[in-house]
Amino acid sequence: MTSFTRRGFIASASTVFAGSLVGLKASFAQSTYPSRPITLICPWGAGGGTDATARIIAQVLEQKLGQPVNVVNRTGGNGVVGHTAISTAPPDGYTIGLLTVEIAMMHWQGMTELTPRSYTPLSLMNVDAPAIQVKADSPYKNIKELADAIKAAPPGKLKASGTGQGGIWHLALVGWLQSLGLPPNHVAWVPSNGAAPGMQDLAAGGIDIVPCSLPEARPMIDAGRAKSLAILASERNPQFPNVPTLDEQMGPHKSVGVWRGIAGPKGLPADIQDKLTAALKEVYASKEYTDFMSGRGFGIKWAERAEFGQFMDESDRQMGEAMKAAGLAKT
Amino acid sequence: MRLSDRVTGSFIATLGALATYGGSRLPPVPGQDVGPSAFPMVIGAGLILCGLMIALGIGRSFEEEAEADLAAVEGPPQRAQPADPLAYRLRALLPPGLLLFYVYAADRLGFVPTTAIMIFVVAVAFGARLRVALPLAALAPIAIHLIFYKLLRVPLPPGLLPMPW
Amino acid sequence: MNELIEAFRLVLAPDVLIAILLSSIYGLVIGSLPGLSATMATALLVPVTFYLSPIAAVASIIAASAMAIFSGDIPGCLLRIPGTPASAAYTDEAYAMTRKGQAEVALGAGLWFSALGGIAGTISLIVMAPILAELALNFSTFEYFWLAFLGLMCATLVARSSPVKAIASMLLGLLVACIGMENPGGVPRFTFGVPELLGGVEAIPVLVGVFAVSEVIRALVSPEPPPLPRRKFGSILAGQLALTRKYWRQMTRGNIVGIIIGVLPGAGADMAAWVSYAMSKRFSKEPEKFGTGHPEGLVEAGASNNASLASGWVPSLLFGIPGDTITAIAIGVLYMKGLNPGPTLFTERASSMYALYIIFILANILMIPLGIVMIRVASTVLRAPRATVLPVILVCCAVGAFATGNNLFAIVLVAIFGAIGYVMENNGYPVAAMVLGIVMGTMVEQSFVTSLIKSDGSLLPFFERPVSAILAAMTISALLWPVFIWLWKRIRHRPQEQAL
Repeated sequence: MTSFTRRGFIASASTVFAGSLVGLKASFAQSTYPSRPITLICPWGAGGGTDATARIIAQVLEQKLGQPVNVVNRTGGNGVVGHTAISTAPPDGYTIGLLTVEIAMMHWQGMTELTPRSYTPLSLMNVDAPAIQVKADSPYKNIKELADAIKAAPPGKLKASGTGQGGIWHLALVGWLQSLGLPPNHVAWVPSNGAAPGMQDLAAGGIDIVPCSLPEARPMIDAGRAKSLAILASERNPQFPNVPTLDEQMGPHKSVGVWRGIAGPKGLPADIQDKLTAALKEVYASKEYTDFMSGRGFGIKWAERAEFGQFMDESDRQMGEAMKAAGLAKT
Repeated sequence: MRLSDRVTGSFIATLGALATYGGSRLPPVPGQDVGPSAFPMVIGAGLILCGLMIALGIGRSFEEEAEADLAAVEGPPQRAQPADPLAYRLRALLPPGLLLFYVYAADRLGFVPTTAIMIFVVAVAFGARLRVALPLAALAPIAIHLIFYKLLRVPLPPGLLPMPW
Repeated sequence: MNELIEAFRLVLAPDVLIAILLSSIYGLVIGSLPGLSATMATALLVPVTFYLSPIAAVASIIAASAMAIFSGDIPGCLLRIPGTPASAAYTDEAYAMTRKGQAEVALGAGLWFSALGGIAGTISLIVMAPILAELALNFSTFEYFWLAFLGLMCATLVARSSPVKAIASMLLGLLVACIGMENPGGVPRFTFGVPELLGGVEAIPVLVGVFAVSEVIRALVSPEPPPLPRRKFGSILAGQLALTRKYWRQMTRGNIVGIIIGVLPGAGADMAAWVSYAMSKRFSKEPEKFGTGHPEGLVEAGASNNASLASGWVPSLLFGIPGDTITAIAIGVLYMKGLNPGPTLFTERASSMYALYIIFILANILMIPLGIVMIRVASTVLRAPRATVLPVILVCCAVGAFATGNNLFAIVLVAIFGAIGYVMENNGYPVAAMVLGIVMGTMVEQSFVTSLIKSDGSLLPFFERPVSAILAAMTISALLWPVFIWLWKRIRHRPQEQAL
């Protein structure tokens, strides 16, 4: 205690003072942001699942930040236009956007230069794993029987659909076929405009398998036209507790899936990142958000900032592998 | 801009040839027997065929018949005098040009000034007096902005003259 | 029965009634503005529905889309600028009636038969939803291919010009539809390195360009037309009963065609209007009058497109498969409001379903008085000098196209297609046929390629499956029809020449 000197006291006091000043400045900056409405760019059209997710996030975020959060749909170029708009916005925190899994796919096809690294990752909000659907009256009782049937069938005999050529569910199927030791086109891919037409064609008997997320398959399953054999994830989906995981039945398999997250343009200041991430975390935990997501059957998953960045890098790597295997990648 | 069937027909045939060529150079897609090149090539072939038929005047009789039917109801068709001076006919470029001007200027000038210019120019081109054109150019953009920005939440650029709402 | 009473209670709630009224007015205004379609009216409603109760949210979409499809006829009739792609099929006809001084008859027919069609579609939804759904589910890509092909053939029937030029225009539309990577191969085609083109060229900017902008251009280079005879705008509903009596067959046929096309996922009001107008002309006793201001085709097409709107909800409500672009958006709203599509909606939430039926009927009845007011207001543009109307329309074109995706590139497309449309129209190439090609292009290719993948490259299933075979026979006869007519005329004309 003898070391307690006057000079020491002054020094420490001034440090405290300076520190509090810094703190004051920081808190000042935090209290001023946001001082005007925030724009949340959604790269897909109004009425879709991504749009709905963006709107529910915006609605709750508005309450947390105390400023209007306007969802702006920037469509065109199969998602390129909207994703570009997010990356080129001024990094002031007043324009953020909803990234979708396509950002990890488009650059492999040479559609854009943008990658997940072209953004400041803020938070992962949603992840949906693919599940394997077959017709309700098909002979396959479980995923193992289907896998055996696929192996036994001549290449191209069985048909699958659920998205366009090179779309996310096509890649999920390719990944699964590879894990079975089969070439990517062993099951022929019938391109469709999304999961709903694919499920319709499944019910009409035009195709054999539809890999897509469970919420997308739900109406047809409920209508008794289709059944889901397995979800390609490590855990069951709490909304669909009867659908077993692939891991349970056939051992571990890491599949690609869809995800959505919030990000800003590159170079977002750290204090704004803090503020936004904290608010987004509250959104994620809010009753409105969880009720909405479970109502639609969407899976929720949280990861923030660097962790979200790593998640996107991993997704990017997986997509690249699957697309190269399927012969879809340009680079 | 009334061109002879020979010109438009040849143009369509050329476009068809280009589509066929462009289509043929598209890469095949693994797992698809009929790749992305087939459809453009079929369309291209159709365009070549149609273009040649038009250039040779096949099917012209239908057009004359249709015009005759219409004329029977409406009286002889009134067409723009072909003797119009070139400057007059060049005004055809005005609407597309103004739309491109909007694309270029909207983010810089903002919605209201840009569209005010557009409306003023077109109104004057139609021979409106300044007494009409100026108030129209001043008020119509504000009304349109109010409807689209406020009611329909279309994010129109504020630019130099942001609206108070 | 309890459910029905509960349904009425749901609909008669003040917030629902206000939502229906306001969104009806909104739909009428949006649909009547050139460049703003029924789909966009629905899309722009989505943020608003967020704050509404579930029934009010769905009610607002039903009301707005029905009104917008009807009021798309208004600018088409008055200015030859169709408000929605569905109106493009018969715009020339309606405009010809306006030129003859019968604007109120044309618009009245649009209104009256739209409302009746909407009610017929709703009845089909109530009575036959499960049967219609079964029909939709049995439609495979083979059938879709023929259906789309048949739709394309309408181009030659609808246009009043040389069939060769109509086909050329349609092929141009198909070529435009090739642009982008929305093709079965997922390969970027004809994008010339422009990233905005990756998603393809949408129908709305093209429609706005080839109709609205080219109309402004045409007006700029032609002298002011002689003003229409100044007279009182007649009664709108007068004469509609007479038309109904005279053309009840056409109306019924339009309703049935509309219901069937509407229920098929992917084919909506646009296609219904085209097919019905073409059918009307094909089976008419006086086809030579078509295109000169003859109400017969308007009756059938108007009856058809609104009928398709209601039946389009069948696959959406039962299986979550969108019947058209409007229901695609509506499904999103249903989910958002916890009214998840599926058969349980009909059983467990029957009162909500009945409520939807009531809203459909209510909206179609409400369409008549509101529509009359709208027509009266809109018809003032006929008296306004074009120097004030057309500049505003040009700005609406820009904003309308921009609002489809908040993308400036859409305006570039409007400018380009405005110029193209002007040149085409001036040389006898029907622009409506090009719009049809763009609307149908993706469906033709997609259904053809996916069918071939499914049949392992065999063409046989295109003719083997029963429905497919019928559609194939219809398509081939439609294809050969102009050739047949041409030959027949040759034979008929020859003896006369000899007689001379």
